[in-house]
This record gives sequence, structure tokens and C-alpha cells, in this order.
Amino acid sequence: MTDAPVCITCGDVAVPMRVVATGGEDGLADCVTEDGDAAEVDVALIDAVTAGDAVLVHACVAIQRLETEAVA
Amino acid sequence: MKYVDEYRDAELGRALSIEIAAAVQPGRHYKIMEVCGGHTHAIYKYGIDDLLPDNVELVHGPGCPVCVIPMGRVDDGIALAREPGVIFTCFGDMLRIPGSTESLQDAKAGGADVRMVYSPLDALRIARSEPDRHVVFFAIGFETTAPSTALTLKRAKAEGIENFSVMCSHVTIVPPLKALLESPDLRLDGFVGPGHVATIVGARPFEFIPADYGKPVVISGFEPLDVLQSILMILRQIEGGEARVENQYKRVVPQEGNLRALEALAEVFVLRPHFEWRGLGFISQSALALSDAYADFDSERRFVVPGVRVADPKACQCGEVLKGVIKPWECKVFGTACTPEHAIGTCMVSPEGACAAYYNYGRFAREKVVV
Repeated sequence: MTDAPVCITCGDVAVPMRVVATGGEDGLADCVTEDGDAAEVDVALIDAVTAGDAVLVHACVAIQRLETEAVA
Repeated sequence: MKYVDEYRDAELGRALSIEIAAAVQPGRHYKIMEVCGGHTHAIYKYGIDDLLPDNVELVHGPGCPVCVIPMGRVDDGIALAREPGVIFTCFGDMLRIPGSTESLQDAKAGGADVRMVYSPLDALRIARSEPDRHVVFFAIGFETTAPSTALTLKRAKAEGIENFSVMCSHVTIVPPLKALLESPDLRLDGFVGPGHVATIVGARPFEFIPADYGKPVVISGFEPLDVLQSILMILRQIEGGEARVENQYKRVVPQEGNLRALEALAEVFVLRPHFEWRGLGFISQSALALSDAYADFDSERRFVVPGVRVADPKACQCGEVLKGVIKPWECKVFGTACTPEHAIGTCMVSPEGACAAYYNYGRFAREKVVV
């Protein structure tokens, strides 16, 4: 996610990611993009997630849940 | 990937292009603003403008948070970065933005401790690990990014961290849209609305555009078919004599936005009375400052910030580009003195900037490609 050739702060760059594990340091969730890029993501703004859920991530914060099929 | 592959289907794109051509009146010119840099990027990456009739003109809006930061604000950041004991953190997007004499990257080369982070939480982690230094986070971005800063500040407050503060330069999308709608320079017929800002704020904040100005807004996703479909929805509203907010991006954007994010924003931030935007000047209530409850985390209250005001370079026409008055290639220095490698203006520095999008995708003039 971090190597994407776009600005993090662009109000409209958000990346679909899949939750791999929850309950990490700072209560963050380990997430991964379809391309395998990993990030620790704050999931405080959405309903509780579990491994396998798909989320839309902006600046390391999940801003929305996605249908599970949205991330392969 | 679901929701990506089917939104990049070339055949469906051509079918939408035919529908768009059928929706317009030949003798009429349609001027549609895509508010977000992300949409601008998609339009030129996928050649969406080549699928539109000649009389449908796309105008690029002010929705790139890097592009709208005035030079004086960069100078203020550099002044903070030079404070003894300060570690100045920012997104990589901001490092190359020119201030009046140098960028944050130049300041770093000159000895200031400037570090790139991927999130505000990364900056907080630096503060935790370096308790003898003070960590400033240069917070920029629209409503999509501001919740990330808000969550980090709530965390810092809960932990009682004292060596962390935020130079808050978050901006809000509605006031500049109002300013553009009031501008005599520009006659717009409709807006491709910002999909991920709307994920946070919902559709309601955009309702003033049809209600007060009679222009349609379609909140749009970012894949090529999303943008084409949104343009078609706007054109159909115009031709049907309608003006309302429609949500093309329903698979992501809830009508009411993200309530938890809105609560966090309301707790941590207040509206500034006014804020300077590059090219647009001062706009009332268009940016966020920290609320009194978070005053201890406000870099501008903890340090003396110069509050520099600097006029843009004369050769640079970012202001006109941000307002959609000129196309990037109409700027005097586009592609010559101003390139992504040696940018004069912010619109060329940020990948989402309209100038960078034109430059990177070879649009040195608006030459249509027959598809």
C-alpha cells in the first residue's frame, strides 16, 4: 500500500485490504492488500472485524467495511 | 478483484460512452467538475476524456490537499522543524512542496530532523520512543484523512503523552466548492462528487449544491466505469431538468457517512474562522484546528509559529488550475520550467495534482484520441 504512486492524503485514495489478524499492538489489525502489501490498520471507526473481513483503508485507518469478495 | 475488474471492462466503457453521446444535445456545452484529484488521476490514466463527446468538458477541482497548501504554511512547518529538539513528521506527499525559499526536504538536507511517516500513529510511535524530543505531526488532508489524526490524538491524550503535537492543516471540502460556485470565472453544470470524503461525511453536506445553485452532484467511485457512469448520471439530470445529489458509489458510501468518524472529528477539532488556500485565498470555516480539549497537542499553541503569508510565484498558475479556469497545459510554465522533477507549483508535485496527471499521462494539449 505504501509504495502506491499516489498521495496518502489524497482525500480519495483508499485501498481495499483483507484483515489477517486482530488485537495487535495498539489494538490494530494486521491487514494485507491483494498485492500482498501489509499494514497495521486502526479499525476503531467500523464494527468489529475478524480475520478474513475486507475493509477500505485510508492513512492506516479503516473507513468502511467492504463485502468480503472485494479483496481476493 | 471484485468491484475492480468489472469496473474496468472496456466493452462496458464503450457502451457507456455511446449512452453519454446520446444523452447530450449537440449544440450545448457541458462543463463538469471532478472535485477530487483521485478522479483526475483516473480520468487521465484510463483516457476517460477520450470517451466523451467534444461538448462535454471536464474541469479539475480543488480536491488535492497537497496542492491547496499555501507556501506560507510550508514555511511555518519548516520553522517548526528547525525548533531545537523537534522531530518534524509529515506524509511523504508534503516533503517536496516548495515553500518560499525551500521545501521540507531541503530543510532536512540542511540538518532539520524531518521524517516521513505513513500515518499520524507512526508519528505518535516516534514520540513514545523518543521521550526527550518533541514530535510535531504536520496534519494535512480532507475529511477522509482527518479521522486518522483524530484517533491518534485521542490515543495520545488517553496515554498522557506530552511530547507530541499536531500542526493542523486539515481542510474541509464544502467551503471551497461554495467559493467556486460563487466565482464569476467559472460556469459549472455539475459535479463528480468525492467518493471517499463522502464515506466519512455522507451525502448530506453536498445537498446545498442542487438546493442553492441548481447543479447536480453525483458521488462517484474511482474506477473508470464509475466515473463514466457518474458523468452519464449528471448529464441525464441536466437534460431532465433535475438537480439533486445521487450516489453512484453506493457499494461504499453510506448516505449518513461514518458516524464514529464524525464523532471523533467533533471531539478533536473545531472549524477555523478562516484558512488560506493556495490559489483560492482565504475561505471562511474551511479548515480544522484542535479543540480546546486538545489544546496541549496543538503545535501552534505550544510553539511560536510565524504565520507566514507568501504570494505564489508569478510564473505559477496553480490558482487558476485549482479553480478550473485554465487547463494545466495552458499554464505558461507547464512541462517546461515546471515538471514533476523540478516543480514550481504544487499541482505538479502531488501525483494527484491536475498538472502532474496531465504531464504523467502525456496530455500536453487536449488532443482527442478516437476510440
